[in-house]
Amino acid sequence: MRWIDSAWYHKPLLHYIDDPGARDVIVTRFSVPWQPRGPVSNGIIAQGVIGVARLTYSVAAPVFSRFAGLILIGAVVGTCLAVWAHSLIFGFVDAHILGGTAFPAGYAAQPFAYFSPSTWGLSPSVILVRLEAAGGLGAAMSGVLQYLTWPVQFGFVRDVIGLGAIFGLFNIIPIYTIWWERKVAGRIQSRLGPMRVGGWHGWAQSFADGIKLLLKEDLVPKDADTVLFRTAPYFAIIPSILAFVALPFGTSYMFRELDVALVFILGVLGVEVMSVIMAGWASNNKWSIYGAMREACQMVSYEIPLSMSLLIPVVCVGSMSLTTVGEAQSEGWFSWLAFSNPFIFAAFVSYFIASLASVKRAPFDLPEAESELVAGFHTEYSGLRWSMFFFAEYAAMFVIAALASILFLGGWHSPLPMSWAGVFDGWVASGGMLGLVGAGMKGLLFSGPIWLMFKAVFLLYVQIWLRWTLPRVRIDQVLYACIQVLLPLTMLLLLGTTLWVWASTSDSSAWAMFDSIVTRILGVIGIVMALAFPSIAVYGFYNRRRLVGNLAVDAMPGS
Amino acid sequence: MDHAYEIGMTETILQSNPDVLIDHERVEQGDLRTEEMLVNMGPQHPSTHGVLRLVLRTDGEMVLDTVPHIGYLHRCAEKIGESLPPYQYIPYTDRMDYLAAMNDNQAFAVAIERLCGLEVPPRAQIIRVIVAELNRIASHLVALGTYGLDMGAFTPFLYCFREREMILDLFEAVCGARLTYSYITVGGVREDLPDGWVDRCREYLDYFEPKISDYNNLLSFNHIFVKRTANIGVISPDDAIAFGLTGPMLRGSGVRFDLRKVAPYDGYEAYEFDVPIARPGGVDEIPANVVVGDSWSRYYVRVLEMIQSVRIIRQALDRLEDGELLAKKLKGLKLPDDEVYVEVENPRGQLGFYVKGDGSAIPSRVKARGPSFCNLCITQHVCRDVLLADVPAIVGSMDVVMGEVDR
Amino acid sequence: MERRTTNRVLGRRLILMALACAFCGATPLLAGEAGGERIGVTTASAPGGLLEALLFYGVAGSAVVSALAVCFCKNIVRMAVALLLTLCSVAMLYFLLAANFLGAIQLIVYAGGTLLLLVFGVMLTSKSPWARFEPPKREVFAAGAVCAVMLFSLVMVLSRSTWSGPEGAVSGASMADLGHALMTTYLVPFEIAGVLLMIVMVGAAHLARQDK
Repeated sequence: MRWIDSAWYHKPLLHYIDDPGARDVIVTRFSVPWQPRGPVSNGIIAQGVIGVARLTYSVAAPVFSRFAGLILIGAVVGTCLAVWAHSLIFGFVDAHILGGTAFPAGYAAQPFAYFSPSTWGLSPSVILVRLEAAGGLGAAMSGVLQYLTWPVQFGFVRDVIGLGAIFGLFNIIPIYTIWWERKVAGRIQSRLGPMRVGGWHGWAQSFADGIKLLLKEDLVPKDADTVLFRTAPYFAIIPSILAFVALPFGTSYMFRELDVALVFILGVLGVEVMSVIMAGWASNNKWSIYGAMREACQMVSYEIPLSMSLLIPVVCVGSMSLTTVGEAQSEGWFSWLAFSNPFIFAAFVSYFIASLASVKRAPFDLPEAESELVAGFHTEYSGLRWSMFFFAEYAAMFVIAALASILFLGGWHSPLPMSWAGVFDGWVASGGMLGLVGAGMKGLLFSGPIWLMFKAVFLLYVQIWLRWTLPRVRIDQVLYACIQVLLPLTMLLLLGTTLWVWASTSDSSAWAMFDSIVTRILGVIGIVMALAFPSIAVYGFYNRRRLVGNLAVDAMPGS
Repeated sequence: MDHAYEIGMTETILQSNPDVLIDHERVEQGDLRTEEMLVNMGPQHPSTHGVLRLVLRTDGEMVLDTVPHIGYLHRCAEKIGESLPPYQYIPYTDRMDYLAAMNDNQAFAVAIERLCGLEVPPRAQIIRVIVAELNRIASHLVALGTYGLDMGAFTPFLYCFREREMILDLFEAVCGARLTYSYITVGGVREDLPDGWVDRCREYLDYFEPKISDYNNLLSFNHIFVKRTANIGVISPDDAIAFGLTGPMLRGSGVRFDLRKVAPYDGYEAYEFDVPIARPGGVDEIPANVVVGDSWSRYYVRVLEMIQSVRIIRQALDRLEDGELLAKKLKGLKLPDDEVYVEVENPRGQLGFYVKGDGSAIPSRVKARGPSFCNLCITQHVCRDVLLADVPAIVGSMDVVMGEVDR
Repeated sequence: MERRTTNRVLGRRLILMALACAFCGATPLLAGEAGGERIGVTTASAPGGLLEALLFYGVAGSAVVSALAVCFCKNIVRMAVALLLTLCSVAMLYFLLAANFLGAIQLIVYAGGTLLLLVFGVMLTSKSPWARFEPPKREVFAAGAVCAVMLFSLVMVLSRSTWSGPEGAVSGASMADLGHALMTTYLVPFEIAGVLLMIVMVGAAHLARQDK
């Protein structure tokens, strides 16, 4: 009789990073063969760059893998501080240098025009004078600050800094959304997701993927329309970046406050449809053309219920400016627009579904249906161009999640009402370090960008969850759902909301009482649903052996 | 075959004339029909389940005609059978339907045993039934998982493969291989079950049985999945019999036929199990728009067959007794001057082997009737006037494995 | 044909892309709030200045160039893309004029609706990406003659009228005023436009219905 190892069932299937006896090489090995790239200098430079990248990575990776958690938290906190500090700096500049009481009379307290030949702004010496007038700073500090703050007085410089921040956001959000999607997808599918690159749960996976995509061969298919093929990715990412221009992250954290921000974002997201059509058509590939046609049908059809669902909170608040809509929800959980009347509650759901179709996410991801069209409209794209489409999609996902948060879920306000924030007013007024802490606590507890990010990230999680749970819907069923289900539904909701708001403008106290009762009920339903998510997760975690079975749970290391 | 050449020529004409002026007349008439396109799906395609090439004639989103082109995986297996003794040919049968290798081995072994009049000892028969049914479960898991993947449900695929990994671990303990086992051989099985294997198998069955209701909740009764597969690719029972379909395709169309009941082999007559047949007016949980003979029925027949396989394995494990593993008189086996055709119930249908012996140790002709080959014949009949997205739904429900289509 | 792209070309493209983003993002900057995050500025005002001049000439130039491309392109799909550029340039011009709402609606309706309609028509009726649109010479001549007459009359009108700019700062209408006007003063045209669009949709659906 043969004897086999009786523990083979319970041996982990992977050599996992926690197993001390099985530490694999962490670095994703990529070797770059010598490719003649034209002039010798190009090749040398390329090799040099790659060498530097590998050196950096081999030095940085062990450090990161040890302190990954610390670095992540530090990065988040640091970003918040940097964002907050820049507003401090700008505020300081505006108050003390460009305006304020210590100035000659008649000076207009406005920043200078962008740039004009006649006045090149305040010279550093003038700034020095005003800084010293502001007081409270040592001579040496003022001497340095006069040069540091000189460029900040120009709107152009501020806008460049802001655009840089937007560009950075546009890059970082997809990178981490992609990493997170792979982890969430892995966990849903009873596996782990990226675990190796960088060390701690594969945090650097997206960076490794980015390097790999950069190094790929740049293919343009034969007989493809070269100009259109090359420019289509740009038509995809520019609208996504533009959407960030109008998106507010806080009461005073936005690049531009447009009074028609909502319509602007809808408009630029509509231009993204063209990029998909161009990409599909220019590839000279029947499968890409199919994908492009389907995608255009789908995105354009769903813009109608999308816009109408977005109009519903606008009707409630009376303004298309996202800042105003966000500010209207500052009084805690029950002031959030989603609970204002049952029609908006349903409109949130219909908006979410329509927005899923608008960014071609599952279950509406027919244009990228792998099993049917290989990759749909971006079949022929590889390397950097494909990653541009990918980034545009994830950035658009974030934008619609942020829109949902601002319009329905209270935006950057926490569930606690702002009227309770008076606790910290005393701290803020006393200035200095206590003022800083007070402002920080206010931002953390009551109203700040971190709440918007949290809600948007939660909605991103729901989008990822839906993608990996539901099968794909066929194109005719997609269009049926849009035109025969969602469109009439949204029209009815719009009608209902209008009537509700109209009824609220009357002075009837009975209606006011009815309205507040309904709001409370909906708010309670919302609380129950919000609490249901973590409780189901906790229940699932503690009962996983009973629900999934011992064999599967033991097969996954670290569980 | 003329039809195929005709389509090929049209394709050449279109490709050689890229600069075609816009047809002004068509635009003026307000005719909004798109032109017909010849689209090629495969042979390398994520959803054609192997190297299958489907040439589709489409008008916009509607598929008007389908012609499958096969032969990409042809490896001359039948010709090779004319130069090897049967026990050496067993590994070639593995590679025909590589997802149900145990069943392939069993088919060939039963054919040779019938030809030579060998008697398989009872223990070997029971072990054969156990591994064959385990392989049926594994094969159906692949079928269900990939079908869900074709429909865009990524997660059930991984759950099915997680379960299948455990079956493959069991097989690896038995014979050392995970996919092509060559375990069932002429006269019995090659090696004995290792220590503790029976307990492990029972542990696995206890773990697996509740999973099937999980899959039903996640995939089978999922509204979107039902909408994509119900009433798609309906095959009537007469068509099924006329085209020679077998297996879940036949039973999904309502024909009551399972070789394990009709012509049992390897002791199948001793086991109690049901055979799922699609019938109108089924149980309450069947979705409303399902029709007998559509893709969903075929898929669900496979789900139910897995439950029955678990039943059979449990009975077999209980009946396991000590004994011999191989028949007697296997050394120097000579095939009589006779011919035999034996079919067994593969997960995909009825796999048949025709063996003609001529008195020597090597057969003079081996022919394999691959169930997927016959199932594929109905593609052209059924993929007419469907949407493009329905083609993977239909082909996926046929569960073809190109290894046994091309051999 | 397959070509290898060097790192230099990729770098150039990245810079181009960044500039394009900055350019596109800079346009709404001048929608009144020149210079940073300020709360409470809800009405737009169109300032003067060097930046506005630069942007105006740039955007207008791109509108003209892409319109010319629409006329002179032989490839149908490139024509459609050039039209997209034209429409987006016009939208940017609207933003420059502090008509935010109109610019956004231009994007939604024209670039995201009408242009898509055109592109669908092109894609569904042409046989390959390289289908060329070559009208016969006499049509070109006739169209050219008509356009020359129109150009002449436009130039005469422009050169003879006196252009007076607005007095002081221009403040655009707020959204509430616009909505109010649409619902009271301009209600009839609004409803007629709606009915017209509905007729268009019904007609299109009827035409496209397959006779089965």
